[in-house]
Amino acid sequence: MEVFLQMFCRWFSKRSAFLIVAFTAGLLVPVAGQSQTLDELHKAALKEGGTLNFYATLAQINAEKILPVFEKRFPGIKINHVDATSDKLVARAVSEARGGKTLGDVLQVPLENVSQAHDQKLLLEVTLPESAEYPQAMKGSFWVASDLQFIIAAWNTGLVKKAEEPKQYEDFADPKWKNRLIAEPRDLEMLLGFAKYKYKSDEKAIDLWRRIAANNVEFHSGHSQLAELLVAGQAAVCLTCYSHHYPARIRKGAPLNYMLSEGVASINATAVFKDAPHPKTALLYARWVASQEGQKVMAQGGRTPAHPKVEPIDKTRTEKIYPISVADIKEYPKYEKIWKEIFKLR
Amino acid sequence: MATVAIPRTPSKGISLPRDPALLVPLAGAGVLVYLAVLPLIMLVIGSFQAEVAPREFIYTLKNYQHAYASEYTYSTFANSLIFASGSAGLGFILGTMLAWLTERTNTPLRGIFVPLAVVPLILPGVLESIAWIFLLSPKFGYLNVWLQSLFGLKSAPFNVFSLPGMIWVHSVGQVPLAFLLMVAAFKSMDPSLEESAMMSGANTWQSFRRVTLRLLMPTAGSVLLILFVRTLESFEAPALIGIPARIYVYTSEIYLAFNEYPPDYGRGGALAVGLLLLSAVGVWLYTRATKEGKKFQTVTGKAFRPRQFDLGSWRWVGFGFLAVYFLFVVLLPFLVLLWASFLPFFAAPSWDAVQKLSLDNYRYLHGFRPFWDAMTNSIILATLTASIAMVLTSLVAWIVYKSRLPGAWLLDFLAFVPITIPGIVMGMALILLYVAFPIPIYGTIWVLLIAYVTRFIPYGMRAASGSILQIHSELEEAASASGASWWETFRRVTLPLLRPGFAAGWIYICIVSFREFSTSVLLATGESRVLSILLFTMFEQGQVTVVAAIGILMIATLLAIVAIFYKITGRIGLQNN
Repeated sequence: MEVFLQMFCRWFSKRSAFLIVAFTAGLLVPVAGQSQTLDELHKAALKEGGTLNFYATLAQINAEKILPVFEKRFPGIKINHVDATSDKLVARAVSEARGGKTLGDVLQVPLENVSQAHDQKLLLEVTLPESAEYPQAMKGSFWVASDLQFIIAAWNTGLVKKAEEPKQYEDFADPKWKNRLIAEPRDLEMLLGFAKYKYKSDEKAIDLWRRIAANNVEFHSGHSQLAELLVAGQAAVCLTCYSHHYPARIRKGAPLNYMLSEGVASINATAVFKDAPHPKTALLYARWVASQEGQKVMAQGGRTPAHPKVEPIDKTRTEKIYPISVADIKEYPKYEKIWKEIFKLR
Repeated sequence: MATVAIPRTPSKGISLPRDPALLVPLAGAGVLVYLAVLPLIMLVIGSFQAEVAPREFIYTLKNYQHAYASEYTYSTFANSLIFASGSAGLGFILGTMLAWLTERTNTPLRGIFVPLAVVPLILPGVLESIAWIFLLSPKFGYLNVWLQSLFGLKSAPFNVFSLPGMIWVHSVGQVPLAFLLMVAAFKSMDPSLEESAMMSGANTWQSFRRVTLRLLMPTAGSVLLILFVRTLESFEAPALIGIPARIYVYTSEIYLAFNEYPPDYGRGGALAVGLLLLSAVGVWLYTRATKEGKKFQTVTGKAFRPRQFDLGSWRWVGFGFLAVYFLFVVLLPFLVLLWASFLPFFAAPSWDAVQKLSLDNYRYLHGFRPFWDAMTNSIILATLTASIAMVLTSLVAWIVYKSRLPGAWLLDFLAFVPITIPGIVMGMALILLYVAFPIPIYGTIWVLLIAYVTRFIPYGMRAASGSILQIHSELEEAASASGASWWETFRRVTLPLLRPGFAAGWIYICIVSFREFSTSVLLATGESRVLSILLFTMFEQGQVTVVAAIGILMIATLLAIVAIFYKITGRIGLQNN
């Protein structure tokens, strides 16, 4: 009976939440967390105190459009957004666990960092009903993609003339870009993505990045800051910027443009902490953000949704996509070493 | 920050024995041990631990090997040393010049420069760094762009993302402190010594060089030392300028050991213990130097007014120096923040940019919850820290200087210990201590409160002990003779008399708590975030013009706190502090 009930719920949860509420009000006793509707889960979550400790790299500029929608949708729940760069967030979670305590509920950071947290045995193995709609590459035993980000090249239109606008990454090997390039020191995905998917050859990818490195690339941490430095004219071109940072800035009148011919796609993933202090609230958020409803809100907040049926609002997807897979992430150490050596990073 | 050598003369009249109120000072002592010593023990233990598997620890010396025998050991040490000595030197020279010109010469309009010299105290270090990045960034810094177009230069003349850049930014922040300490030194100098030099035929320059400078030597040494230690412990310029420029000093290495994956507490702890020792040695030398200074006493009972040097036509050069300093070093950072706060995105001053000016950033902040949360946290923390620290240190100072409690000297020592603990080290120690604490305060503002109170106890002690010593025991004796209990005496006689020192200490601690960054950076997260940390994260996320607007509002709040304070103390006649 119990099994039947669960199957029934799972089947229903794919339909609209309203339908379920209408059909099952008073009919169903609360079952295990996952097969509940979001609204039932909401009720259960409220008993946990109404707080969600949300460890996420989501920039304020996106967060302020996304998180309030969640809080409005599920009244009584307040998101405590702990934001920092991804390695800082994972380091924080690890240090808290080291002290004997888990404080985070949900972790929403690049897949690489989610997998680090998993290595540290911090994450819950859970299959959310919502993940059924995602392709295999977009989910795992402890995560579901929350959004995608495309690493692309962008430039300041005041410093790069229309005629010299780059068309592809090979263009940046030209000496005319000397001392005009900036990049993020941790974006080894560029090397990896080019080696695996653009050239299908390590040598060719290394060769290209070596030639680009000869133009003396300047490094700054944080992609939003790179975008802002570009706006300010700190450099002409950002080699490893996120495409979703640009449409909004261009609308504000910033002198920017970006290249959508090719780019490396990396996954941001949502995961729930194993010993989360508010487990139901954590599950509620994770399920909501993976649902079509949540993905639409992510799109409206300026991110590129991962859900196959939800389209991004702005032009953020590249024509040629070099997607970083989970297997690729395992090879990070190898490419990181080469990347650091190419650019003499420490 | 000159410490006053305070004679410990236990008073005769008051006895504590068998008074139940004795529990109060004893509890104070317990609190002090708990605040100052426990985190250090945690830190030292942590520095010998290594994590072999998730949550499995062994004890090892390897951390020290990683920290002090790696390929970066030398560069970190060298960078820290250059950064600290460069900043101390430059801050000292600028502060001394300002103090001498305004205090001891006939430079025109010097009077108005005295209050101006102290103004930068309210500019938090994080903002100072951000403002100078706006001005001196090699590509978009206003000063660079302006100089380049003025002289047709090919490349930017300044690069803030360098060791000299870090030194400059940090030292201009230290000038007010150097200035205040040197003003005090100049003020207390007996002019008869210089006059005798002149009488014996020395000219102005000779008497300055051979008498004035010599007299200043002990003070100068101790001021330099304290500036050196403060720079070594600072994290603002190392975080905002050093890390992007890949110039690492001890504080940034400790920060990164904690904040990069995989976090390496052992190595961070070992580095922290090293930094702690370095700064402890610095502080020890400093206290020794200030005690030595007493041998060259310049304050006597005689009434005197320091003589003014007549600079002749050079006084206009002095005026020029003061004017340039205030325009470029004090005013410009404020102006650039103000300007940027009205921009939609960072842009060089141009007609185009002027047309884009708007109040949008302020309007945005109006509805931006994290800003209001951080503002509330900062105000609560600043006022609570100041109040708790002052009550605590008044009690401790009273026990140390007035009671005959055995072991009072130990309390004095304990209350001084936190001055050697760099902010970032304190943050690290408190994480280790409070993450699994039975009372869940980690991640809340209460852990920050503990950190701030601990760090600022030494400041409170200085303010409180100064006033305690001025209270003659007669007054308390009279109270106890009239039948007042210990507690009544303390509350109704001692405390009211303490008010001037209490108030001065309160406002100082309030200001430093409000701008605190290096401890908060490891402890403040999510809902416990304070303004300085919000500035830092949003700057990292690239919303630089919003950051500028937050900065302006932060400065305005600090000004308001100071103004309210002056209004209150003015009414009760405490302006002399």
